[in-house]
Amino acid sequence: MILHTLHAMSPSASFQDCLRTAQPEDTIVLLGDGVYNALAGSHAADLLAANPVRVVALDSDAAAAGLQGKLGDTPVVSMDDFVALSEHYPRHLAWY
Amino acid sequence: MVIRQSPYGSSLARAAVDLSLAMGAFEQHFDLLFMGAGVLQLLPDQDSAGIGLKSIGKVLSSLPLYDVERVYVDADALLRHGINADQLVLPVQALDTLALQELLNSADQLVSC
Repeated sequence: MILHTLHAMSPSASFQDCLRTAQPEDTIVLLGDGVYNALAGSHAADLLAANPVRVVALDSDAAAAGLQGKLGDTPVVSMDDFVALSEHYPRHLAWY
Repeated sequence: MVIRQSPYGSSLARAAVDLSLAMGAFEQHFDLLFMGAGVLQLLPDQDSAGIGLKSIGKVLSSLPLYDVERVYVDADALLRHGINADQLVLPVQALDTLALQELLNSADQLVSC
């Protein structure tokens, strides 16, 4: 069980390797530039949707990027939710 | 410990190597995993004198002296960069995606840089 934080935009080795190593019980949190990966209709969003891993985006970073309402099916989480996730998962891996 | 940065593109590679040496010196038991551009740190013949930096490859080759013996690399990254696992500065074990997932999930803690 791993909490992945994905800071990198697709296409990149970080994006690819994060998706490749994440398993169904993991969660990927999109942070910083990583939120652009959830932009509905983008190639990256399609790749994320095709993956069985749960993907969420940090609301403050998504809002900063102007992505409110543009994230398709990707739920946003608050900083408090993010902290709760970090407590839930025993391991964390940062991809930037 | 997951190492994913190229050796001289930023100071992160050196920081990761320093962390490995410190953990080794304090007898912490850990595995090293090189992924992505991190595998480029393992190329032999790094001569970094011209850029005023210490050779990451040379420092890495000293890791067995610090009792760091379990070094793994992402087989996919080796393939992507056209690198042969038996021509690196350290003896390494190449892992496929499934083995990578198992290794990551077997760790008590993960550090990635």
